[in-house]
Amino acid sequence: MSELTQSSAPRRSVGGQLLGSSQLVLGIILAVLCIAISLAAPQFYSEANIIAILRQCALVLIVASGMTMLIITAEVDLSVGASLAFVGCIGMAVLNSTHSLALGMLAAFAFAGGVGLFNGLVVTRLKVNSLIATIGTMMMLQGGVYLFTREAVQNHHRLISFTDLGAGYIGAIPLPVVIAVVIFAIAAVTLRFTTLGRYLYAVGANERAVRLSGVRSERLKLFAFVVTGLCVGVAGMILSSLMNAGQPTAGRGFELTVIAAVILGGTSLLGGRGSLFGTLLGVLVLKVIDNGIIILGWNQDLQMVVPGVVIILATYLDIIRNRANVR
Amino acid sequence: MNWSKSILLSSAAALALSTAAAQAENMPKRIGYVTNYATHEWYQNVIKGMQARAKELGIELEVQDANLDIAKQVSAAEDFMAKGVDVLIVTPVNEEGVVPLLRQAKSNDVPVVLEGNPVKGMTTMVAICDYDTGYTAGVEAGKYAKEKLGGKAQVMNVGLPLLSATVLRSQGFMDGLKTIIPDAVMVHDLDGGGNPDRALEVSSAALAKNADINIIYGINDSSSLGGLQAWKAAGKSQDNLLTVGTGGEGLAFINAIQNEPSYRIEAAMFPEKEGHTAIDAAVKLFNGEEVPEHIVSPTAPMNGDDWKKYYDYDGTVRTIKWDAVNALQPPEKCMKTSADLKK
Repeated sequence: MSELTQSSAPRRSVGGQLLGSSQLVLGIILAVLCIAISLAAPQFYSEANIIAILRQCALVLIVASGMTMLIITAEVDLSVGASLAFVGCIGMAVLNSTHSLALGMLAAFAFAGGVGLFNGLVVTRLKVNSLIATIGTMMMLQGGVYLFTREAVQNHHRLISFTDLGAGYIGAIPLPVVIAVVIFAIAAVTLRFTTLGRYLYAVGANERAVRLSGVRSERLKLFAFVVTGLCVGVAGMILSSLMNAGQPTAGRGFELTVIAAVILGGTSLLGGRGSLFGTLLGVLVLKVIDNGIIILGWNQDLQMVVPGVVIILATYLDIIRNRANVR
Repeated sequence: MNWSKSILLSSAAALALSTAAAQAENMPKRIGYVTNYATHEWYQNVIKGMQARAKELGIELEVQDANLDIAKQVSAAEDFMAKGVDVLIVTPVNEEGVVPLLRQAKSNDVPVVLEGNPVKGMTTMVAICDYDTGYTAGVEAGKYAKEKLGGKAQVMNVGLPLLSATVLRSQGFMDGLKTIIPDAVMVHDLDGGGNPDRALEVSSAALAKNADINIIYGINDSSSLGGLQAWKAAGKSQDNLLTVGTGGEGLAFINAIQNEPSYRIEAAMFPEKEGHTAIDAAVKLFNGEEVPEHIVSPTAPMNGDDWKKYYDYDGTVRTIKWDAVNALQPPEKCMKTSADLKK
């Protein structure tokens, strides 16, 4: 839909076109950041650091792939951080009792998918605004995880395959990065090349028109919520593998990082516009900033400040882009 | 044999006398404890220690969680006073916010014991010495590095600069370490946020910048484990690495000592003992006895399997060995406190 919106817009000024091409702007920002940090600290482009950045990007990118679909439908899920922690605890508990990676993963997916389904039903059936509904779910999950376990669920099964999930490699590429790339590719193809993807854009752009044309928009939104939930399931298991424990305190602020990456990538919070490639650039920009602050030895409090500034700038950019599109 | 019998008999007599003395004291009927964050493993174990001691002395203990909300803490304390508790124990959510509460308690004649953090106008506080805890762990780390790491000490500190207590731990660790290895260096001084995923993330970036470290120090167990997991995720061997944790809050450190070859030292802070000591302080205040402004709760560095001296572990639950922990002698005064950081 973003492509449709942009191509159907009348001729715009060069500045407007540049702003309209948010991915180009982001690409330039990313390149400038990488060059500037590399000049100041050559360790930035070392193999070890590039792998560290990619690994840090992987978890965010996995969830952001689902979240992009969801935001394109004009909904949002703020419960992903709380769900991430809960998924890790449940997955680890099942792994401890069954010693089966498949069952552990299955339990994690069932739980995370269930959370997505619940959110989707509350939004589409009860007509509760997704912002409010998922804040409610977030609170339930944050409290619920402590009812489930007061302590971190330790790794008692010692399964090598589970350790590899977070710390393993395929060739020189960390396994979480490979998983993230696969999920990203599936989501990108779905959005770009399938009827389902077109419908997701259409629901976000004009839900009423979609309904009038006979498409059940609620089901499409439900689908996007469940996909986001399943992505959290994958990320939660990778995180618990990386931490070697199911941590009830994990994932604090994770939802904000994910949403920031998505809107930074040009996906409109109002729905109907956005792309997975933009999200990928958004994730890379945020994580390069995060990594750069440590590599440069700057005050780490900036790791909270800078993404905040970036979110505001990105939203402002979105407004300017919308104006340019209208013109 | 006769000697051991005599020692046994005299110990039993001393124990009986002290129990009798304790029972001779007037016991408060009810104590109210307002914790600041009951979901944290540290406070869960503080509460366990309080419950065990209160049960032993026949005191009814009620616990409320402020959940990091000072307004909630104040109203919970007011509820306790309205209910007529004999003594209040409070872990302050923030130091300024509790000052009016202390005044209110004083006007209601309810003695207050603080746990963890000092507040202006307090009568007494039960807390560990953070600097000393780091210092003694640093000395042990120095000995280990001298013996097994070729006398080299390149440290990655997974710290938390936001809190004075955790800054003191890190400072103490480096100072203790330097008593054994004077040229020890802190290569990375990180803010791991005190939680494992953040610690993992910042440690990964720091190790990518410079992996020439051989000691990971964490201001709590989550921080040291986050640092260690980053080390492992980078595909590095633990052969010439030492990981030092702080706290011993839950089961994580036991699991780590049992399964991670580099996790050899834990600066244990015995939260159960802190809870136990807080109840004893509450009894003393109730009886109008003089108490020091800072009652120090003991800590101890545990090397390798030393933890078994202090805890039983059945695979799911740990149980403190009170005899061993009660035998630890805390310092009368801390080497450094948060006041020293302001100088």
